[in-house]
Formats: sequence, structure tokens, C-alpha cells
Amino acid sequence: MLTSPLPSSGARRYRSLVPIAAGTTFLAAVVIAFANAYWISTFSSVVALALACSGIAVLYGQLGLVSLCQYALLGVGGWVALRVSHGLHASFEICLLAGGLVAAMIGVLWGLPAFRLRGLYLAVVTLMLAGTFQVVISASGFPDGGPGFFGRADAAQRQLMARPRIAEGDRAYLAYAFAVLLLGLILVELHRRSVPGRAWALIRRSETGALAAGVNIAFYKAWAFALSGFLAGIGGGLLAGAVGQLDGRAFTAADSILVFALTVVGGAYDWFGPIIAGLLLRAVPSLLTDFAVNGYIALVIFGVALLHALVTAPVGIAGQLSAVAARFSARLGRAGRRA
Amino acid sequence: METFLPFLASGTGIGAVYALSGVGLVVLYRTTGVLNLAYGALGALAAFVAWTMIEAGQPAPLAISAGIVATAAGSLVYGGLIAPRLAYRDRVVRAVGTLGFALILLGAIGWYWGEAPRRLLLATDKLYLELWSVRLTYTRILALITALVMVAGVALLLRRSRLGLSMRALADDRNVSAVVGIKVGTIEMVAWLISGVFAGICGIFLGDLVRLEAHLLTFLVVPAISAAIAGRLSGLTETAVAGVLIGVGEALLTPIQAIAPYRTAVPFVVALAAVALLPTHRSVESD
Repeated sequence: MLTSPLPSSGARRYRSLVPIAAGTTFLAAVVIAFANAYWISTFSSVVALALACSGIAVLYGQLGLVSLCQYALLGVGGWVALRVSHGLHASFEICLLAGGLVAAMIGVLWGLPAFRLRGLYLAVVTLMLAGTFQVVISASGFPDGGPGFFGRADAAQRQLMARPRIAEGDRAYLAYAFAVLLLGLILVELHRRSVPGRAWALIRRSETGALAAGVNIAFYKAWAFALSGFLAGIGGGLLAGAVGQLDGRAFTAADSILVFALTVVGGAYDWFGPIIAGLLLRAVPSLLTDFAVNGYIALVIFGVALLHALVTAPVGIAGQLSAVAARFSARLGRAGRRA
Repeated sequence: METFLPFLASGTGIGAVYALSGVGLVVLYRTTGVLNLAYGALGALAAFVAWTMIEAGQPAPLAISAGIVATAAGSLVYGGLIAPRLAYRDRVVRAVGTLGFALILLGAIGWYWGEAPRRLLLATDKLYLELWSVRLTYTRILALITALVMVAGVALLLRRSRLGLSMRALADDRNVSAVVGIKVGTIEMVAWLISGVFAGICGIFLGDLVRLEAHLLTFLVVPAISAAIAGRLSGLTETAVAGVLIGVGEALLTPIQAIAPYRTAVPFVVALAAVALLPTHRSVESD
């Protein structure tokens, strides 16, 4: 079944946090130790996008909802983080949180149609919202230290967003970003292992059944949208901090579609699926550039991968890797017993 | 009023194409249950094929026909090979599948034709009528006439012919249609073919009237979806009217300085409003 197993009771319930912490830390250590400056900056965006993808994974993996505006929500988070940073000179964490919270609120607002209309219409509505955001943000731009609320600075006076004091350098900032990603992944896992996760699983199975079991459907759906928006918003803040400023023209509806597509390809049911999605979104195009392959080839590959994932591998790359690992450990277990 | 008239004229031409593409989407959705998000990318394929052949010195009618054939073939390939594999999944998953197709088309077009700005030029661009001191190129008039003829034609086909009856039966209930002996697969392929031809014609018009750019043309599926949603994904007339209104609305905002940069948001706003006004109907919920 595609729905996550119902959480077991007691402390064992949280055992799944161990591989998440270990895996993320290991990846972070390897990248920070070995990557050159180019890949350090690429990975900063990978991490930011992985957070946004983990939000999609909550909606699609837990509730089967298709949201095509996640990159726009990332933009909302980035906008708020930049605004707070330039306007109040608040600490980086405050900027991140503000971005996350506002994106969470917008996420719930944009998810409102899901309470009334499901499925296809939600996908269409979120696509329209991503398109509207694209039009608005490319006309108005992101805060860059210019005067006033919507003020734009001249090219020479554009300011970069202040990074956290403990992570001014690129390498340190990447470590910081990985730490935030880990917190985000833990937050998602805790949700999946406790009351909201059970409620989502019930809603996914049957809304009527969930209603009969006393689940407040609207509340838990809103919660999922809020969590998804929060993660995208935090990702947006991280991206703004990594680059220093954001380009309004870079937040297109096509990006939102790609973020969704590659989350499905990466795997929406395993904790590391969003990280694979982030790698596909940012690291694979960088790799192709390294090998001087036309960037459009990546689009073709992503399209084929999405169709492949939908038709034959609904669990995505992460799900397939998990299955291989499970088979391997089962074989090891049998061999151990025999010895 | 004087300032708005030229924009009204240009908006009507584009609106007619939006109407045409909206109707193409609805015909496919009603019959197969697939909301084809690759519709714009398919149209782009037709425009690029036609452009290449015209550049190579071929006569325009041949080039246009080749473009439409290419698009119809693309539509049939997806409808025949991929769509049946998703036939029993949620409608939203089937729509997401067409996103994959759109990415493939977009990537292939970008890879083969590159990003150089182009325009598809047709002989009809240079001829024009003057109505109330507003120039109306033959291309726009042609777009209007084509839209009227094709929408009326498809409406007649659905209402009067045996094929249309089968298509409407499929829209009502796939399984029951199969039981009473309707060849579900064949009828669906016909729907993919019709919608592919519509997409091709729309793509060529938009490549001429707007710009020949893959990304832009791919996302011109949005006004078409907006029109289709306004027609609740089933009404042909409502869809066509909404398409024209979106085109006109977008164009009329051009001379208003304060709103002009935001005018491309018109189709989004129309679709959002249409969804907000949509009644909570069983058929809407059952997806």
C-alpha cells in the first residue's frame, strides 16, 4: 500500500528519526568536506529546494493532493525573509521563521479550495496561483534594500541579505542550511508518526470513514497545507540567504510544476525522497552543464521520469531504493540465522 | 474609447484562439477524462514545424498542414501509448501525466530549435481591413472565422452524429458505454485526434499573433484551461465565450498604465473566480 504504515506505540515509534539524522548528517559532512565552491553554492539551493519538496511530499504522499504552487510559496517565504531582513535588520532565524509562517498562512489560504473541491480542481487552482504569483513577482520584484515596503534599489545600491552570524562563509552556511533541513525533515516525520499522520492516513483512505471516526477533516487538511507552506517558506528564506537576493523573473509557474514533478520522481513516501528531488532539480542541471550537455535534455529526461514514476513506479526513486534495501537486509537476516 | 478600439480588435482575434483551444480541451476531457496540460506544448510543436518549413521555402498551406499533422500525431501517440496506462487512476494523476508529456515536448523543442526569438509570419498578416479606423489583419479575421466554424462543427458533431453520441456516452459512463458495445479505445483515439488538430491550429495562430517561443506557447494552455473551467469542463458555448472574453479582457488592460504589467494575470483571475463560483457538485467531488 502507498499509505504509510500506521505508527506503532511507545518509543519505538520514533526510531525512524535515527536514519534521518544519520543520513542527513552524513550527506552534509561528505558534501562540505569534498565539494568545491561551485558545488557548495549548488548544494545550498539543493537543500532549500529539498525543504520545499518535503512540503509537497506531505500533501501528495500523505493526502494525495496535487499542489502546483510550491515554488511560488518558496518565493513568498523568500520575499518575507528579505523584507524582514532589510526592513528590521532582524536576526537570520527570525527572518526564516517569519518567511515560514507567512508562507504557511498563504499556503492554507491557497489550499482553501481543497476543502470544497478536490483532485483536479485543486491542481488547476494551484497552477493558476503559481501563474498569478509569477506575474506579480516579475512585475514587482523582491525587496533588495530599496526604500519603503515595495521600494527598489538602484543596481549599485542593491543589498544582500545578511547571513546568520555563526555562518557567514559559504561552507558554514551550507552546514547551517543542512541543519535547518534536518529540523524540517524531523518535523515532517514527527507529524507522520503522531496524531496528524493518523488523521491524514484516515482521510486518504476515506473521508467518510475519517468523519465517522471523529477526525476534523478541514482542520487536518489545513494543517497539512500550513506545514507544507511553512517548509516552502523556510526553504525560500534559506535560498535568499544563500544567494543574498532573489530575482523576480526566476519564479515561474514552470518551476512550480517541475518541483512537483520531481518530488513524485524522487519519492513522496520516504524521508530522503525530497533530497533526491532537490538533487534532481539543481544538481543534475549543474552536472549536465559540467558535461556541456544542452540543458533542455534535462527537461526531456524529467518528463520521461515523471511518466515512468506515474505509470510503473509510484513510490519514486526513494521508494525503489528503500525496497532494495529492505530486500537486502532481509537476505542478510536469513543468512545470519543460518550461520 | 478611441484608445481601446485597436486593443479590442486585437483581443478578439486572440480571444477566438483561446476559445478554440478551450473547446479542444473540453472535447478531450469530456470523452477521455484527461485534462491535457500538454496542449500548449503540442501547439508549439505545430508552430515550430510550420515555421521551419516556411523558412525552407515550402508553400505556407503545406507547412501549416504539416504542423497540424505533427501535433495530431503527437496527441495520438500520447493518447494511444501513455494515457491508457493511467486510465483507471485519479483524474488529477492523469492530468499530471500530461505534465510529463509537456516537459518532454518543451525540452525537445528547446533542444532542437533553441531560444532565438522568432515570429511565424503568414501572408495574411500584411492584408488588413479597416473598420472604424481600426486595422484588422486577415490573420485575426481568419482566426475568428476558424474558431466559429470549428466550434460550431464540433458542437454539431457531438449533437448530431453517431460518433458524437458515443463520445457523449463515454463522458457519462465509461464502463456502461463499453458494455453496450461502444468501442471505447477507438472513440478515445478520435477525441485525441480532434483535440490534437485543434491544438495544432491554435499553436500556429498563436505563434503568429503572439510570439514563436516554446515556453510562452506551452503556458498559453492556461487561458485555455481558464476558459474550459469557466465552461465547467463540459459546456462548449460557455467555454468559447469565456475564451473570447479572456482575450479581450487581457488586451483592454494594455493601455491602462498602472495595471498593464499585471494584465497577463487575467486568465488566472478568471479561472480562480470560476472555481470559486463552482457549485459543490457531485461530479466535481468525485475526482
